[in-house]
Amino acid sequence: MEASITLKKVGKLSGDITIFAGLTFGVERGSMVAIVGGNEAGKSTLLKILAGVENPEFGSIFINGLDIVKRRIEIRSQVGYVPNKIDLDPWLTLEQNIRFTGYLFGLNDETISNRLVSYARDLGLVEFLHSPAHSVSSGTLKKTMVLRALIHNPKILLLDDPTAFMDADSNSQTWNLLKSMKGAKTIIYCSQNLIEVENAHDRILVMQEGKIVLDGKLSRLLESFHEYTQFQVEFETLSSKLYKKIILNPKVKNPSKSGKSIHFYGKERKVLFEVINTAAEAILVDFGLKKLGLQDLLEAKFSSAGL
Amino acid sequence: MVRALLIRRLWLVQNRIFPTISFLVVLPALLHICITLVMKNILVRSINEIPYESWVFPGIIMIISAVSLFPNLYRDLFDLRIHGKALIPMTLAPISKLYLIAAFLITACLESLVFVVIGIGILGILSNFPLSVTSYFLITVYALAFSAILGNLMITFSLITNRIATYLMTILIMFILILFGSGILVEFEFYSYPIGLILQKFPTSMILSSLRALIFYERFDWFGIALPFVITIAWTWLNAELFRRKLRQ
Repeated sequence: MEASITLKKVGKLSGDITIFAGLTFGVERGSMVAIVGGNEAGKSTLLKILAGVENPEFGSIFINGLDIVKRRIEIRSQVGYVPNKIDLDPWLTLEQNIRFTGYLFGLNDETISNRLVSYARDLGLVEFLHSPAHSVSSGTLKKTMVLRALIHNPKILLLDDPTAFMDADSNSQTWNLLKSMKGAKTIIYCSQNLIEVENAHDRILVMQEGKIVLDGKLSRLLESFHEYTQFQVEFETLSSKLYKKIILNPKVKNPSKSGKSIHFYGKERKVLFEVINTAAEAILVDFGLKKLGLQDLLEAKFSSAGL
Repeated sequence: MVRALLIRRLWLVQNRIFPTISFLVVLPALLHICITLVMKNILVRSINEIPYESWVFPGIIMIISAVSLFPNLYRDLFDLRIHGKALIPMTLAPISKLYLIAAFLITACLESLVFVVIGIGILGILSNFPLSVTSYFLITVYALAFSAILGNLMITFSLITNRIATYLMTILIMFILILFGSGILVEFEFYSYPIGLILQKFPTSMILSSLRALIFYERFDWFGIALPFVITIAWTWLNAELFRRKLRQ
């Protein structure tokens, strides 16, 4: 597939602090890419640089073959950006905020109206369009920002936590709209909602301290961990002596104690029975097992040392 | 871009119609009552024997021009910038920073022009139209040049200041300087010679002096209008550069 965005050894500084350095990757046209990682990992800064809000200190970035620093104005109309923070004009109505952006991009009234009505219906925004931005909820404002980013029909959509502040309905309306654009638009988003990422993913980039530590589809990322299962066993009482006895088993990986429960990972299901066996004298209350997901992958012990 | 910003200003005025209309009517009336009616009893005529009420008229219009610029640029540039609202999305439109800054300036000047025209009407009624029709037209044109210089100054403050208190204090000092140091209320001859000489060289003073020379003595001062024009162009470009650096885009 043709590359839509290419980053070559991109570096960004904030004063003396390196936010990221030597970032190199490409994004295929029409794909949906999620960027995940902890706070201060550099996700939002990366989106800001791709959107042209800030310039990189080092390296080059090409969007549809155009250098984003040298050909910035040409690239602007190809990119739609939704920042993390609400940045609508509070004293204009939602419709006026969107129309104003349309005018800035040189669109006529008819085009703006058509897109506005269509996307507002998809996002459930119609009834709020005439409300001033300062009088509606943050979730509605975030949906308005998504609509605003789409008004000039960009080829690339950059979304920083697109469903932040949204309720369940708004969340699903937004994701339905974004998923319907998969293939037609290149969508890069960052999110703290890992379940959302697991459901919507095409490709996932995991950032840690300004570096991409994992890159690929969820199934591929979980490949090396797929044989592992997470177990949880709850006892009526879990003494330190019993806990120490259980974790002596070399097949019990990454154990942790939480009240009367023990959490651990294991390759085979029989590990669970070995643990129950070891704790034969204790009274078992409940137990459970779960397939590993993105959350487990991102936990520090996983990403740095593995199991 | 200018059209987009003008439409936006129109929406904002519509959304706050009563405060805007009050401001439009009250400001000229207040200036007439507090300045013209008081000062004409102290300075009955100018040094060149022009009735004070006529002499001060262009100056009062320049005050209206300056005051009406403030809410526009404060709200659209400074307030939106420091609160991280709406300004960054504007900078992501496919337009240059120079064009964006020029559009802010033009929009502010055009809005100020509306205030000036209405101000001329209200002040004219209150003071029985002391000048000729041509004079009112000239005042309007020169008020545009005046607002372009001041607009640039306010844009610079809006870009370099990060705190509301600092910004307001700076603007207050600027207004005091314009009110008392631009020859709006009293002639430069009343100041000590060196101070008067310095104040006369301010671009805002030059515009007002040129305007009065044209209205009262029919003397056209090319330099007095050309220099502020050149300064406006250069300053707009500098502001655009400042804006680009501030945004790091």
